[in-house]
Amino acid sequence: MARSTSKDAQALLHSFRSAYAATPTNLKIIDLYVGFAVFTALIQIAYIAIVGSFPFNAFLSGLLSCIGTAVLAVCLRIQVNRENKEFKDLPPERAFADFVLCNLVLHLVIMNFLG
Amino acid sequence: MPKLALFLILIHFLPFLCTSFSPENPSSRRVLVLLDDLALKSSHSVYFKSLQSRGFELDFKLADDPKIGLQRYGQYLYDGLILFCPTTERFGGSIDLAAILDFVDSGHDLIIAADNNASDLIREIATECGVDFDEDPAAMVIDHTSYAVSETEGDHTLIASDDFIKSNVLLGSEKIEAPVLFQGIGHSLSPANSLVLKVLSASPSAYSANPKSKLSSPPSLTGSAISLVSILQARNNARILISGSLVMFSNRFFRSGVQKAGTPTKHEKSGNEQFLTELSKWVFHERGHLKAVNIQHHKDGEADEPSMYRINDDLVYSVEIYEWSGRSWEPYVADDVQVQFYMMSPYVLKNLSTDKKGRYFTAFKVPDVYGVFQFKVEYQRLGYTSLSLSKQIPVRPYRHNEYERFIPAAYPYYGAAFSMMAGFFIFTAVHLYNK
Repeated sequence: MARSTSKDAQALLHSFRSAYAATPTNLKIIDLYVGFAVFTALIQIAYIAIVGSFPFNAFLSGLLSCIGTAVLAVCLRIQVNRENKEFKDLPPERAFADFVLCNLVLHLVIMNFLG
Repeated sequence: MPKLALFLILIHFLPFLCTSFSPENPSSRRVLVLLDDLALKSSHSVYFKSLQSRGFELDFKLADDPKIGLQRYGQYLYDGLILFCPTTERFGGSIDLAAILDFVDSGHDLIIAADNNASDLIREIATECGVDFDEDPAAMVIDHTSYAVSETEGDHTLIASDDFIKSNVLLGSEKIEAPVLFQGIGHSLSPANSLVLKVLSASPSAYSANPKSKLSSPPSLTGSAISLVSILQARNNARILISGSLVMFSNRFFRSGVQKAGTPTKHEKSGNEQFLTELSKWVFHERGHLKAVNIQHHKDGEADEPSMYRINDDLVYSVEIYEWSGRSWEPYVADDVQVQFYMMSPYVLKNLSTDKKGRYFTAFKVPDVYGVFQFKVEYQRLGYTSLSLSKQIPVRPYRHNEYERFIPAAYPYYGAAFSMMAGFFIFTAVHLYNK
């Protein structure tokens, strides 16, 4: 049983890798961006676990900037992906304009809450 | 008309009465000496002369003289009182127990000498001062191992004692080599009273009993609990000396040699003169009288006193302490004066360092607590007047713009937020121009 699950996991990973290789480059760039944001969020969580939560508002502000950035980037990816039937009629320029405006609001809030 | 002229002339003498005693010049000058018998003037002349040579005006009066009085029209006529009248039942004039106690309560000094026929009045005065003489009126202090050796076989009531209190301010810096001769009654000090001190104690083999009759029961006062000479420094810094023997002040005892039983050394002169003269210097404020002036505090770097400090400020506190030497104020030098920064309990307790010219100073940081604090100096040392200084000062917390602008512990979060903004700019550039 165990050997078959590990073989299944390997088969899954292999099919994921071959499918991911087929995604367009611009989506891969967005995925890289999301990964960077999540990585920065993980660094901040590790820091607060070590040092303690003294300026808690600064922690929330930093964490929220990372998570907000990741969420907005994921929304952009969904709307720009040509294979997505739901957003077939939405021009990618409109999606990008929404992305930029939401990021502006996010960073305004972050700068205010950072102290 | 002549009465008015006389009155106007006499009024001009009034200022001279006021220069004799003042806090600036605390040595008593005018002393009333009450005697049972005017023969004491000559039999105790060495002691009186030592006082007069230091500038005291002694006014000798009989204790039942009807014209004596300590004060007139609310003003005290004397600065000190010496009671060498152990057998007096009632004082003459306007002096009585209450008048004497008022005299002491107003800050003046007192010397009382009792003897083996001390009256109830003298015993009562001593009790009010915190000292209890033996209740048996015929009792004297007897010591069979520490008596003074003399040619005749006595009843060992003349004792030689060298059990002095160890204090340079009370007894002077020179050691008293010879023992002190004593013949009289002993007293005990109440253990609850923190202001009385035994200056000369009896040896552990002494006891207080009637020398002429057989002992029917164990004596109540025994051993080193018997005090022969005691002092009291009241909270208003009045000083009282109580001695159980009047004859120890006499010329005969001052000049006689002494040999303590059981010791081989025979001293040419007893220690009475040195002991009593040095003690009288202390009683009349020629030693150990301190004053503290010029309390200053300011922020480190500034010169004037602020009305309020902030938490975590650095401040400097200084005070000047002087000791009266009998003629002038000399700088007081000690290394154990402390200042407290006090609010319900001392947050800071620091030793003050001195520049040896009377100025004591220290610097410390205001604690991280806000409220109304006091700078307190509480200085009570054996034989010195007590100093109790206190100055109130409020301490405020930080104003909203006195906090640090950027918190060092939050630098990673600042970095994360700005890196997200930078990442956003780079990403938009890449996304737009990617083909």
